[in-house]
Amino acid sequence: MEEYAREPCPWRIVDDCGGAFTMGAIGGGVFQSIKGFRNAPAGVGHRLRGSANAVRIRAPQIGGSFAVWGGLFSTIDCGLVRLRGKEDPWNSITSGALTGAILAARSGPLTMMGSAMMGGILLALIEGFGILLTRYTAQQFQNPVPFVEDPSQLPPKDGGQQQQQQEAKGQF
Amino acid sequence: MDSNSQGSGAGKGGLGGLFGGGAPEYSNTELAGVPLTGMSPLSPYLNVDPRYLVQDTDEFILPTGANKTRGRFELAFFTIGGSCITGAALGAVNGLRMGLKETRDMAWSKPRNVQIINMVTRQGASWANSLGSVALLYSVFGVAIEKARGAEDDINTVAAGTLTGMLFKSGSGVKGVARGGLAGLALSGAYALYNNWDHITGSSSSSSRLY
Repeated sequence: MEEYAREPCPWRIVDDCGGAFTMGAIGGGVFQSIKGFRNAPAGVGHRLRGSANAVRIRAPQIGGSFAVWGGLFSTIDCGLVRLRGKEDPWNSITSGALTGAILAARSGPLTMMGSAMMGGILLALIEGFGILLTRYTAQQFQNPVPFVEDPSQLPPKDGGQQQQQQEAKGQF
Repeated sequence: MDSNSQGSGAGKGGLGGLFGGGAPEYSNTELAGVPLTGMSPLSPYLNVDPRYLVQDTDEFILPTGANKTRGRFELAFFTIGGSCITGAALGAVNGLRMGLKETRDMAWSKPRNVQIINMVTRQGASWANSLGSVALLYSVFGVAIEKARGAEDDINTVAAGTLTGMLFKSGSGVKGVARGGLAGLALSGAYALYNNWDHITGSSSSSSRLY
């Protein structure tokens, strides 16, 4: 697989927004098609039409809310990277928490805290999973420990060396 | 002097065979009135015909497996995200316009502001969803057609646009499908034309392409 290359920070927001919209729209489309199928009156024609209607109406909405989440998360992430000057998992966790808080802003402070905690925990799980995966896949590239001879097996230091040197000189 | 003027005429004409047999394959046989014998106009040390040195100034070093321009799949997320954000901006402006128009008779008060804000967010969300789903359909069709054909050119763009238009209006019956398909065809055709405008009007370089 090709190297994963993320865009630099301003364009990353657009990319993440688009990726989130895609995930939301396709996932929501699948779920809504099943739901529309089941909630429609009997008969294959009715069911298929119900399924298509549900997808057409609800899938863009679900995609849109995912897109808002993704775009806002990425914006805060890029802002933190700019502020702190480094990229590490803490940026993502903080961004998740802040995104959850902002999106629940209309429902009062208590809901904001709850939403922030949910966002932060979700991102912490994702980042933790990512770190574990990186460590696991990096293990296969580790160099093997070099083979160390038992020191007592080596010949005595001075006499052996002189003999070896005389032999070497004699050859030439 | 005569030979010099003759030589300058030949040099200006660009033919190498007239003046001296020293370098018949070079395009210029003299430089600043001094005849070149066996030397190239580029450099006196260059004894190779510079036409044999092909220099493609667009050469970049690419890692194995990479292609020169971005494929449709890599551009898809950017297209979709860009459409969402554009739709949100346009919808917000439209919502502002509609909100101001509908609350024209109200005094400036909190209910009026709340109503305007509601219009802005609803229209913004609605337009963002619509444009984003159009972009998503276009990208999906584009990638599918490219994989099916195995080739990439403007036919993919136009076909994907037409299919998107048809599917987007599929809820309005056959007439809606036809109108949507025509709209998609017109828009994607215009986009493909815009991309290839230099090519069509005969200039040598074509502009960089985003699908």
